[in-house]
Amino acid sequence: MRYIVCIAAATLMAAALLTAQAPPAAPVKGKAKAKAAPAQSPASRPIPPTATPQTYPIAQVQTGSQRFVGQCGFCHGRDTTGGEGGPDLTRSEIVAADNRGDKLRPFLAAGRPDKGMPAFKLSNSDLTAIIAFIHDQKTKFEAVGGGRRDVEAADLASGNANEGKTYFTAQCARCHSATGDLAGIAGKFQGLALLQRLLYPTGRPAPARPKATITLASGQVVSGPLATDDEFSIAITDAAGVRQVFEKRDVKFSIDDPLSAHFDELAKYTDKDMHDVYAFLATLK
Amino acid sequence: MRALLILCIAGLAAAQSDSWLTYHGDYSGRRHSELSAITPANVAQLKQVWRFQTGQNQAIKASPILKDGVLFLTTPDNIWAIDARTAKELWHYTYPPNNAFHIGHRGAAVYKDTVYLTTPDCHLIALNAKDGKVKWDVIIADSKKGYWSTNAPLIVGNHVLVGVSGDFDNVPGQLKSVDADTGKTQWIFYSTPPPGATEPKSGGATGGQMWTTGTYDPALNLVFVGTGNPTPVLNGKNRPGDNPWTCSIVALNPDTGKLVWGFQASPHDTHDWDANEIPVLVDANFNGQPRKMLMQASRNGFFFVLDRTNGKSLLTKPFAAVNWATGIDAQGRPIPDPAKEPSRDGVLVAPNEAGATNFRPPSFDPVSGLFIVNAQDGYGIYFYKPEDGSYGWAGADYNITGRSFIRAIDYRTGGIAWSHPIGDGAGTAGVLTTKTGITFTGDNSNNLLALRTIDGTTLWHDPVGRMQNAPIMYELDGKQYVLMGAGSSLYAFSLP
Repeated sequence: MRYIVCIAAATLMAAALLTAQAPPAAPVKGKAKAKAAPAQSPASRPIPPTATPQTYPIAQVQTGSQRFVGQCGFCHGRDTTGGEGGPDLTRSEIVAADNRGDKLRPFLAAGRPDKGMPAFKLSNSDLTAIIAFIHDQKTKFEAVGGGRRDVEAADLASGNANEGKTYFTAQCARCHSATGDLAGIAGKFQGLALLQRLLYPTGRPAPARPKATITLASGQVVSGPLATDDEFSIAITDAAGVRQVFEKRDVKFSIDDPLSAHFDELAKYTDKDMHDVYAFLATLK
Repeated sequence: MRALLILCIAGLAAAQSDSWLTYHGDYSGRRHSELSAITPANVAQLKQVWRFQTGQNQAIKASPILKDGVLFLTTPDNIWAIDARTAKELWHYTYPPNNAFHIGHRGAAVYKDTVYLTTPDCHLIALNAKDGKVKWDVIIADSKKGYWSTNAPLIVGNHVLVGVSGDFDNVPGQLKSVDADTGKTQWIFYSTPPPGATEPKSGGATGGQMWTTGTYDPALNLVFVGTGNPTPVLNGKNRPGDNPWTCSIVALNPDTGKLVWGFQASPHDTHDWDANEIPVLVDANFNGQPRKMLMQASRNGFFFVLDRTNGKSLLTKPFAAVNWATGIDAQGRPIPDPAKEPSRDGVLVAPNEAGATNFRPPSFDPVSGLFIVNAQDGYGIYFYKPEDGSYGWAGADYNITGRSFIRAIDYRTGGIAWSHPIGDGAGTAGVLTTKTGITFTGDNSNNLLALRTIDGTTLWHDPVGRMQNAPIMYELDGKQYVLMGAGSSLYAFSLP
């Protein structure tokens, strides 16, 4: 059970490193970790405006509505504003940037299998109709300003910033600084996005990748941002931006994952703590 | 390992070796194979012997049915008959386009020479098993009201028990029994009051859909089915009380559809934690006494052991991160913490909406007494404000993160015997155990896994792809097969 032992060692090492010095949250090149938690919903950000206003025939929108419900509605909601597990498409940046399917067609053809979204092989007319419906819905929701699953920043304002600062100093300052890495955080994230970011950072900008240190059989040590990690292999992105994969049975390794402290904290927060820390971070404009 | 006294009675006999006749393989829901050719010593020699590609958008979320050497595999709107030795397609039936939710399909059912397929728009189609010709087509529920179906029916006698889904709308939970020969409705069981009925006990809740396949005890003549969450989903204010029989296990007489007993896994659920996970039937000793038990690892994070003759609790223990209950009541039910109901400013809740586990089947290994389940320690934030209303979802919730494990629960204590990490996020593979001490399942990195049942050590793996259901196992011409769906392909493995 070397796997378990290595993870335990990695956790201890991470704790030691975090106590000593927090790594700065630097964006890392390359593809985001495939199995990370779903991206944060941008529900409390303003709806990104449609880059190219576009209209569609009513009949096409109606057909699209039917096809959308069948193919997309469970995850994205029958009205496109989010369902079980899938984001609100009226707030999607891809939809906002799309012009008559130039972005959405390739996106739908490829899917996002890592997030459970299949590649869609639909007829051209069905695909066009679905895209027409999504844009039509977006236009409607832009007009009314807000989707069904909306959480307003004002809804979250129940915490006490002073008590949040106390909690932050005790629990978060091991890795973070209100005047360092988190200075201006409230200017980058507001409302629900800020709350999600404080609980477990995902999405853009990407949080720092875990750092892996790998000792080869030859004794050579390589290290770098963790690219993939499962029970059997581990990969890092090397200095040249190339992914290097190793079979775990051939190497010794340790992983320093700054986010593990966020995960551990989830079991400790009271709801009051969470709202207080949010209130404190919301002052860091 | 301690020796266990597991009582075998005819009614709970294991699946036949040359067939897989229900979603679970048999009526018990244990998903345990008595086949013995594949052992911990030789499992590493498993090789892919065939692959069947559906060519569909939708991943395989079904367990195939095997009868007379023919596999029946489904995805939404589709069913294939496949030669179980070669994967040659014998026939393929496609249901006409329809606009209900196409989110997955859990499998077919067989009776004599008929195969049954539920459709997204809540029809039940009876097909000739030989050629896929439609014998009849009946409507199970009104899809325009918000019902859809992914259900693998359960057949008991001449009853085809068909469930539906539907928690985007305030519609009652219904399980329909259909005559296997004629398609005529025999009875409907409503888990919440049917339209027009007033029944104060439910507190005004609708929902409680029975969308997974139940289990059956022939000796007691009882069918056991899990029920889904109440609607409105996150707004519990408009439906006071426990909201029976949502988030429950119900025991029904299959001849009449009458409720014999019910047990609520989540009284007054406000987190979408369906109790639809498989109710697994086990006959064994509990606290030194022979018992007919029912076990469920529920989406809400608790493992339940019930006396299935009467629904009384024997054991309730969490098997994953849980922060929403203040204790266990006298009936063995978790007591929901009102402070963890969705709120305007949000509450941090474990598990998240995906649950501590979900529909992917667990397995019970009678040799070790371990109940093995794909489990997640997950966290989410839940919101509700009066402006969200009281229809459908009526609130918002967001996953924060989670870590998943294959966990082995000792049914005698509820303790975790071992916990095998499988990666971040919710796991999506179910579990099958074998008499020889192997646990087949999958991780979150596309690996089909063979673990040693006694301690969770990895014995073999194969990178098949993203798995969305549990393995099945059978033997034909002396050759033992393990089948697992991944993506849009079904893979068969065997020893050389």
